[in-house]
Amino acid sequence: MIRVESITIKEFRGIRDLTLDFNGKTFAVYGPNGTGKSGVVDALEFALTGNVSRLSGEGRGEVSLKQHGPHVDRRNDPDKARVMVKVSIPSLGKVVAIERSLKNPAAQVTPADSEVLEVLRQVEAHPEIVLSRRELIRYVLATPGKRAEEVQALLHLDQVGQVRVGLQKIANACEKQLGLLGTSVAQARENLLRALGITELGKEKVLASTNAQRASLSLPALTDLTETTSLKDGLATPSPAQPQRVPKAQALADIRGTREILAEICGNDTVERVIEVTADLSALIGDPAIAASVKREAFFTIGLEFIEVGACPFCDDLWDPNELKKRVQAKINHLKEVSQKRGAAEAKIAPLIAALRKVRAAINTMVGYASISTPPLAMKEAREYSGHCEIVIERLLTLMPLDETVTVLTTVPTIPPAIPNSIKELEQIVAALPEPTKQDAAREWLVVAQERLENWREAMRKNKAANEQAKMARQISDIYANSSDKVLARIYTNVEKEFSSFYGFINREDEDKFVAQLIPSLGKLGFDVDFYGRGFFPPGAYHSEGHQDSMGLCLYLALMKYLQGDNFTFAVLDDVLMSVDAGHRREVCALLKKEFAHTQFVMTTHDPIWLRHMRTEGIIRGQSAVQFRNWSIDQGPTRWDARDVWTEIEDYRKGSNMRAAASLLRHYLEYESAELCHRLHAPVEFHGDAQYQLGELLPPAIARMRELYRRAKKAGNSWNQKEIIEQLSARETGFAKLASDSNAEQWQINVAVHYNSWDNLAKEDFAPVVRAFRDLLGGFTCTECGEYLRVSPDRAPAEAIRCECGKTMINLREKSE
Amino acid sequence: MPEAIPMTTSFALKGTPDVPTQVFEKFLEALKEAGASPELVARLRKTLLEDKKFTERALKEAVLAEEPLP
Repeated sequence: MIRVESITIKEFRGIRDLTLDFNGKTFAVYGPNGTGKSGVVDALEFALTGNVSRLSGEGRGEVSLKQHGPHVDRRNDPDKARVMVKVSIPSLGKVVAIERSLKNPAAQVTPADSEVLEVLRQVEAHPEIVLSRRELIRYVLATPGKRAEEVQALLHLDQVGQVRVGLQKIANACEKQLGLLGTSVAQARENLLRALGITELGKEKVLASTNAQRASLSLPALTDLTETTSLKDGLATPSPAQPQRVPKAQALADIRGTREILAEICGNDTVERVIEVTADLSALIGDPAIAASVKREAFFTIGLEFIEVGACPFCDDLWDPNELKKRVQAKINHLKEVSQKRGAAEAKIAPLIAALRKVRAAINTMVGYASISTPPLAMKEAREYSGHCEIVIERLLTLMPLDETVTVLTTVPTIPPAIPNSIKELEQIVAALPEPTKQDAAREWLVVAQERLENWREAMRKNKAANEQAKMARQISDIYANSSDKVLARIYTNVEKEFSSFYGFINREDEDKFVAQLIPSLGKLGFDVDFYGRGFFPPGAYHSEGHQDSMGLCLYLALMKYLQGDNFTFAVLDDVLMSVDAGHRREVCALLKKEFAHTQFVMTTHDPIWLRHMRTEGIIRGQSAVQFRNWSIDQGPTRWDARDVWTEIEDYRKGSNMRAAASLLRHYLEYESAELCHRLHAPVEFHGDAQYQLGELLPPAIARMRELYRRAKKAGNSWNQKEIIEQLSARETGFAKLASDSNAEQWQINVAVHYNSWDNLAKEDFAPVVRAFRDLLGGFTCTECGEYLRVSPDRAPAEAIRCECGKTMINLREKSE
Repeated sequence: MPEAIPMTTSFALKGTPDVPTQVFEKFLEALKEAGASPELVARLRKTLLEDKKFTERALKEAVLAEEPLP
């Protein structure tokens, strides 16, 4: 995708003003703790993604990017906190400038053509290009559920998970609906049986019962009962003028049925269930935290539904939709316990809702008879009670707020006293009706039976459709789960193979047969690793912390390789591998070189040895490193940059601050001498604590340089290369003069004497000392590229002295060799 | 005048395996093999792969549309 050419950071985190030239190459940022390395990492992440993960997300408390991103002295002026990066896009052959300020994190891009913006959007969508040790270890030591989340976030599987949950919920909702429809079917069946005067719904019994009535009307008997058969087939349709009459027998049967239904709702079963549910809900209400959580859970669940664009549906603030969804989902997950309690309460309430629906239907039937009775009966209380039942049903379905639900629950088993009285009154009116003729009774029977048969058929049809819908929704959900499991299993198999190969390579001396298992199941991701052929165990069980660190890096690299393939061209590794020992770090370098030759890494470290490994293994070359020496709140990081250091020394000297000038010169020479000894393979008296003074490093470096020139001349002589010998003699003489001028070699007698004496020099006398050392260091460099010379190969007998640019190449091998 | 990058949802990298797309394609293929109606498959394809909507509401419309309860 991209390579970073340079970065300029102003008033951002602990940095005041800093420019680093990466030149699209792997780059190291080295410095002791607290010198500003992480500021560079944060600035890179901010420039490329508009965010700093260290300052956002879970567990960051009151810390925020906008408030705490600017330098502390610019905290009220976020516009001054700016990061500019230049990135090259190899696929487009373009170099692009990106600038963001903390006041307005939207990227300002130049040039901003559509192809460039598309690439930058891709980069913005992949914050995982920055990996810190904190994040790295989460892949290894996390619980299976948490690890699955981490890996899924890296692979952008949140959408996959969201669809899975959505389809499951739809299937569950469809199945839940079946319960309610089942109740309707049962109720319609009861009404039909009552109308038919039979106790079981069978074709023969229905036909026998119906044909008996039809015979009274001289209608032909029905021979079959199909889905479209009308029980009243052939019956003359009553003229519109004919008043509707109460079917006496049916009405009396329905009145008896209504009494049974009312008795049921007042019965012990209902009362006990109401008491049980009331206690459950009261417990939820009694705990204010849980009660609030129930409300919040409902709020978040509804809110999640509305997140479709880049804004919060509640406050309209701009958000990354995925980040917002992740946050809301996390809150919902935290409320799972509450969800379960709510689900349990809803399950207990469901039969009460079904019973109330039966009551309401029965009362409505009574009201219907009353309206056509003679004289008409108002049944006002019954109408009101029916309305009340509807309100209670709605409240129980909604459940929230809980206190209102508890209040209406108490009314469920209670029937207003006026209801039985009005039913009794209706019964008396119906009973007083003259007995219909046999033909009239048969006609009424057939009309009511047909009406109820149609109601039952309709309820059955709805129930059948709902069943099919639920079956389909469940099948879709299952197919999705199965498909995603298969795809993910394939991905994990690939990642597992790459991971094992990477880790086995790093540890090939004793774990070359290493294998690992990524085991996905039900949204979790198990991770077991082989321990020397003794079996598979979690990484934290037997492997050392250092091994776990390298496992984290390998898993990250395997995932990134799978995810981005050839587009994995840039990553920031922030202080990773600090627990990995020197030998294995060397192998990590080899792995990066072998498997990720086309990826530009920006790596931070506080360990100078790790920095040297990166150099000697060829991960970083030439100027591709910055070394911070200290940090101050006013200046930000100060780097070991030759130009800056000599200027600073000169400034101190001119200001007669000889103590500061001498101190800085000594520290810089110590730092550079260590690098020279390393590059030239100079023999230095070993110190277990790796602490060396200037007098213990610079003289061996000078002596080694001289020895190398001698060896080079000897080698030139063996090859009869007179011209080269002359050049080497000139170099040797020149270098000897530089060494002599600095007087540095005398320090081997007393390593502290010269440094202490510098303090006492007048500024005019210190100037030649500074010049002498500056020139001496120049004597170790290539005249073309300015880099220090080094002995090659790194860990074998010296064969040549060379530089990074290739201009300097001095042979050390004699012809006889 | 430099241009600001608008806020975006995550998306696949060109030429690299996009895991959600792989999963959705595999799902739609399996759904078709299981005998799902072409209309249902088309609706889900539009929701998941074209509109890239993953909310329960959007999925419900895709799964239950044209098969509402009578």
